[in-house]
Amino acid sequence: MREGNDHRVTGRPLHYNRWVVVFCFGVLVFLGLFYYATQKIQYVWRWNRTPIYFAYQEEIHVTSTIDGEVSAITVEGDKARITVTGNGEEETYTTPKQDVRVSKGEFISPGDTLATYKKWKAGLLVIGLWITLKISVLATIIGVIIGILSGLMRISENPALRWSAVVYVELIRGSPLMVQILIWYFVLGTLINDLLIANGWGQIPALWYGVASLACFAGAYVSEIVRAGIQSIHRGQTEAARSLGMTYGQSMRHIILPQALRRILPPLAGQFISLVKDSSLLGIIAIRELTKAAREAVSASLQPFEIYILLGLLYLVLTFSLSMYVQYLERRMATS
Amino acid sequence: MIQAKNVYKTFYAPHAIHALVDVSADIAAGEVVVVIGPSGSGKSTFLRCLNRLEHATSGHIYIDGIDILDARTDINKVRAEVGMVFQSFNLFPHKSVLENVTLAQKVVRKRSGGASTEKAMALLKKVGISDKIDVFPDQLSGGQQQRVAIARALAMDPKVMLFDEPTSALDPEMIGEVLDVMKTLAREGMTMVCVTHEMGFAREVADRVIFMDAGAIVEAGTPEHFFTNPTHDRTKLFLSQIL
Repeated sequence: MREGNDHRVTGRPLHYNRWVVVFCFGVLVFLGLFYYATQKIQYVWRWNRTPIYFAYQEEIHVTSTIDGEVSAITVEGDKARITVTGNGEEETYTTPKQDVRVSKGEFISPGDTLATYKKWKAGLLVIGLWITLKISVLATIIGVIIGILSGLMRISENPALRWSAVVYVELIRGSPLMVQILIWYFVLGTLINDLLIANGWGQIPALWYGVASLACFAGAYVSEIVRAGIQSIHRGQTEAARSLGMTYGQSMRHIILPQALRRILPPLAGQFISLVKDSSLLGIIAIRELTKAAREAVSASLQPFEIYILLGLLYLVLTFSLSMYVQYLERRMATS
Repeated sequence: MIQAKNVYKTFYAPHAIHALVDVSADIAAGEVVVVIGPSGSGKSTFLRCLNRLEHATSGHIYIDGIDILDARTDINKVRAEVGMVFQSFNLFPHKSVLENVTLAQKVVRKRSGGASTEKAMALLKKVGISDKIDVFPDQLSGGQQQRVAIARALAMDPKVMLFDEPTSALDPEMIGEVLDVMKTLAREGMTMVCVTHEMGFAREVADRVIFMDAGAIVEAGTPEHFFTNPTHDRTKLFLSQIL
């Protein structure tokens, strides 16, 4: 008895911990070999150059627009006001005071720098991340709406509704997303934008065609998830609701969908995690989402290893936080 | 209150089954009718046709004078007047006991939260569940769930109550509590149609017993007539098997 207990350190047998060590060792060996290989091809790692792709300081030059003399420089708090007068004109420029490059009485021409200051700007990867987030959120919302509607149509007794849903789902699931994106942008997009222009309205930006393609793609899968979720609710639930006088819509809204939603939350989450990852294809229609932004950063920096590794990690952060959030929702729903 | 005239119901999938064959019955207001018969005799189908959960293939069914098989009839209005209690309770598992009883009042009857809660509390007290209004159905015993289901149906102030084998899914010791609630209802003058195997209930409470076999009504009459002096051989055989 005593001996058996001695083998336990954290309530688990000793050999368990041994394999944990083996795992960690394996990870380290893999990373070490990878690094060794990059050294073999003389890749120079420059992680210190990557932060500028998240945020950087841009130097902004405040330039004069007129010819004349600096007539006054007044400092108010951390701002400076430079007034230029000449040829009957007067212009005042407000700028942070740290780097004023002219003094009172100086003559200047249009285009001369009066002052400079530095401003934080979002780097390429942050811009890309923002676009990816925006597209994913919009496509998720629209995808859920399309999915619920077509899922309900799919189980309708009306053949026009049911067959529309079947055709939609089969069309979308039967072709690659890449092809659908190309069709949305280069076929439907051209058609719609040309029609809009012909009628004197503005064009719809590429981003919206990207959102539409992802939403329709996800919608088809959500449709099947919703259908399965609704059909998994026992028929007696509908019968009980209807026998109380509820309409089809009321029984769906109050009885069936709330129960179905709990069951379909995990597959639904998987679908939206896929959607975030699939948005990386939208670069081909010139939407500057995360992957496209990373490719631009690579062209500019010639640091593909660092930036592509960062790119992968950024997607991981997005999808991992999404799955954490869904787990939280599931727990909350289970207790309510 | 309920008139069924020459009702037929045929199920086609996977092959034609004649579940109801020329069933006619008149049920007066305040009457308690018990429908019995061997399994597969069409008694549940008949009951489910009365609120159109099953759509009769042909014939006429009038509830309080309204032809429910007429396409122009708003079936939801009729169903609100016809309470139904199921064999498997069918409580809403994501709603508390109280919400189960108030939901349809709010959604269908458009009652205020206060009024529907008051009504629900009174009914839950009547069926003896007033101490468990905030728990969820899966924490109740079968008998308690069925009593909540009865309260849920009663909350709509129905003119008729349909019971589809309300005690068949219950453990024996819980059957009594549900039957007691049903007996109280019957004494208060509720029009009831009960499909059940509880012969004691039929004998004690029913004004009329209908015996069905193979989709048709074989024999109908008072409990005395039915249990002491049945005319048809099929009825005699059935009674000899169960009593």
